[in-house]
Amino acid sequence: MSINGNYFAGVDVGSLAAKSVILKDGEIFATGLVPSGVNSVESGLNALNLALESAGLKQEDLTYIVGTGYGRVSAPYANKAVTEITCHAKGANYLHPTVRTIIDMGGQDCKAIRIDQDGAVVDFAMNDKCAAGTGRFLEVMAGVFKVELKDLGAIALSATDTVPMSSTCTVFAESETISLVARGEKPENILNGIHHSIANRIAGLFSRVGIESDVFFSGGVAKNSGMKSAIEQALKVTIVKPEIDPQLIGALGAAVIARNFSKKEGLWAA
Amino acid sequence: MGKQLFRYSEANKEKFLESDNITFNDGSTVSPEEIWHYLTEEAPAKYPSAFEVNLYQGNRGSRDETLPTSLKTRYLGLTFSARMEKAKDNGKSIAFIQGGQAVDPYTAADTIALRPGLVNQWNNGLEYGNDINKENLRRKKSKEKAFHDMSFEACQTGGYEHVQAGDLRIDVIAPYTVLRCSDISYGVEAHRHGPNKNVKLLNVDYPLRFQADKPWAIEYFAKNLRRLVNTLDEVTGRKTSENDLLKAIKLHNTGRRLGTELAELWWSADVPPTNSDDRASMVSLGNLEVHGDVQASLSVLKEAKKFIAERVKNGVKGHAVADNPKRLFILGSCVGINGSRSEDAGAIVVGRDDQWSHCSSLVEEVGDPFYNLAKATLEYPYEQSIEKRAQWTIEQIKKSRADGVIFIHNWGCNTQAAISRPIVDIIKRETGIPTYIHERDLHGLRDEQEQNRVNAFVEML
Repeated sequence: MSINGNYFAGVDVGSLAAKSVILKDGEIFATGLVPSGVNSVESGLNALNLALESAGLKQEDLTYIVGTGYGRVSAPYANKAVTEITCHAKGANYLHPTVRTIIDMGGQDCKAIRIDQDGAVVDFAMNDKCAAGTGRFLEVMAGVFKVELKDLGAIALSATDTVPMSSTCTVFAESETISLVARGEKPENILNGIHHSIANRIAGLFSRVGIESDVFFSGGVAKNSGMKSAIEQALKVTIVKPEIDPQLIGALGAAVIARNFSKKEGLWAA
Repeated sequence: MGKQLFRYSEANKEKFLESDNITFNDGSTVSPEEIWHYLTEEAPAKYPSAFEVNLYQGNRGSRDETLPTSLKTRYLGLTFSARMEKAKDNGKSIAFIQGGQAVDPYTAADTIALRPGLVNQWNNGLEYGNDINKENLRRKKSKEKAFHDMSFEACQTGGYEHVQAGDLRIDVIAPYTVLRCSDISYGVEAHRHGPNKNVKLLNVDYPLRFQADKPWAIEYFAKNLRRLVNTLDEVTGRKTSENDLLKAIKLHNTGRRLGTELAELWWSADVPPTNSDDRASMVSLGNLEVHGDVQASLSVLKEAKKFIAERVKNGVKGHAVADNPKRLFILGSCVGINGSRSEDAGAIVVGRDDQWSHCSSLVEEVGDPFYNLAKATLEYPYEQSIEKRAQWTIEQIKKSRADGVIFIHNWGCNTQAAISRPIVDIIKRETGIPTYIHERDLHGLRDEQEQNRVNAFVEML
C-alpha cells in the first residue's frame, strides 16, 4: 500500500456490535457502530463504511487498517489482525496514559487487563466460557423484566436493597430471577443484585492479575451506570470516565496500532 | 468446488529419496520412494483433510519439505489406521491405555499400546475422502456419542465409545488408575456397563501420588505390573519373561536417550531448527509409542537426530518460523496449542512437560525389571507434588530458554485444573516469566476462543 494520507482505521467486530474508528493526524476523526450480523466480513465493512461516510472518505484514503475482535480473522479489508486485549490496552492508554487497569465487558466475554505506561499488556485474565458476567447475560435479564437494555443500570441504581443472586449461570440465573419475582422481591432490588453478582465475578478475575490505579471500564457494558457503580464497590476503586463511547475503545486501540504499524513499516512518517 | 490441497514439491524429491528406509516391528521396510508416492499420490486422495490449505481450521501439519523426517512422521501418522488394521489381521494384540505411563511392559508382552488420541486416530483413518469440515463433523458426532455413553463431565472420552460400538478391534483395556488423570474412572465405569463389556479390562493400580520413596509402594506397583503382563499374556497366549521386559526396557531406554538428546540439540540452536509441530513429532518419538510401532519410531528418530544436528550446525531455521519468535513452554495433560497458528502470531513451542517427563526418565537396567520400572514410574517428575513438579518444570523452561509459559488443560480434567494455579505461581515467582492458564472448551468455539487468548499472550510477550 502506498502513502496516501494520514488516515488510520481500526475495526472491531464483536459478537453483538461492530465498531470502527478513523484517526487523522493522531486525533479521532470519525467513528462507526452497527449491530453485528452472522457475516462478520459484512459487519466489519458496514462499521467501517459508516465511519468513512461520516468523514467523507473512501477506503482507498486509509493508509492502514487493523482488524480486531472475534471477526478479525475474517477481515480481508484489514492490513493486520491484532487481538482485542492488546487493542483495548492501546485504546485506554491513548485516552488516559495514567490508566494501568482495564475492565472490558463485551457481548460474550469479560476481561481483566493490566497495562504499563506505554499501553502494553502486562497480564490479563478472561472468563473462559460461561455467558454469565457478559453483555449477553444482561440482555437476557432485560428480557426477563421486559425493560430496555439501556435502562437496566438506572433501574438497578434506584434500588433500596440488594437481593443476593447465588447463581453464576445465565440459564439458572434466569429461573432464579423468576422465582425471586414470584416471591415478591422488587425488580429494582433483584436487578441491583444481578449487577453486584456480575461485579463479584469480575472481581474474581482481578484476584489473578491484580489492580492498580487508574482503572478504566471499556466495552458495551461500560455504558451501564449500574454496572459501573457495582464494579466500583466490588473492586473498591473509582473508574475513570471515558470521553468517548466506551464501546469504541477496542476499535480506537486498533486504529492507534494501525498508526504504529504504518510508521514501523515505513508507510507513513510523522 | 473442490478444496485447494497442499502438494509436496518435486524439487525436494531427490534429496528425500537419498534418506533411509523405515523399518517396522514385523521386519518389513518402506523405502523413501514408496513414502514419496504415498504422500504425493495416495494420501491426498484418501485423506484430503490432511492436505487441505486452511489457515484457521484443523492442523495443517508440517510443510517443512526439506526435512525428510518431517515427511516420514507425516507418513507414519497417515498410515496409522491402515497399519493397525494390518496388525490385527496378522493377529497382533492391541491394548487401550490411559494414564501417562511408559509402554515398556506392553512392548515386552508383544502388544501395541494406544492412548485415547491414537485410538481416535485409528478410527478417524477408517473413512476416506473427507475434507476438514466433514472430518470435524464426524469427530464431533463421535464425541457427542461418548458424552452420551459416559458423561459430558469427562474430559478425555476418546476411545471408549469406539470400543463400545465395536468400531475397533481392541483386545484389552488396561489403563493405569490414579495417575494424573481424573476421568479414567468415567471410561472404566462406562465400559463395565456398556454393550461391549466383554473386552477384557484391567486397572493397573498406581499407588497414590508422592510414594516414590516408599519401598512398599514400589513393591506394590511392581506386583501390579506383573498382573498387567499376565493379563496381556492371557490375550496373546504367550509367556512374557523377566528377560523380555528387560529387553523392552533397554529398547525404550535407547529411545528415551535419543529423544532427550534430540530435544537438547534443538534447544541448543540459536534459531529454532524446526517449527513447533515438527519439534513435537520428533521429540515424542523418544517414547517409541506414538505411531503404534516401536521399531518404526526408533528408525525415524535416529535419522531425525542426524538432520537436526545438521540444521543446528548450519543455522537453518524451521519452516514458517518467525524471526526471533517468542518461545512458549506448554504445561498440562493431553492437550497442546495449535503450533502453526501460534507461529503465525510470532511464537514457537519449545517444549511440553507431558510425555517429556517419562521420556527423560531412564529405567535402571540392572536388577528386577518389574521393580525398576515401578520405581522409575513412581518417580516421574510430572507425577510428583506441586513443588517438586514445578521445580523440575523450571529446569526445563530454563533449558529451553522459554519466554512464556501456558498451562492448558481440558475442561473436566480435575487434577490438572486443581494444580495449574499453584504450579504457575511457583514458576512465575522463581523465574519472573509471564504465565497464562487456559481451560480448553470441549469442541464448539474451542479453536477461535483459545487462539484469541494464545495470540493475546504472545502479543503481551
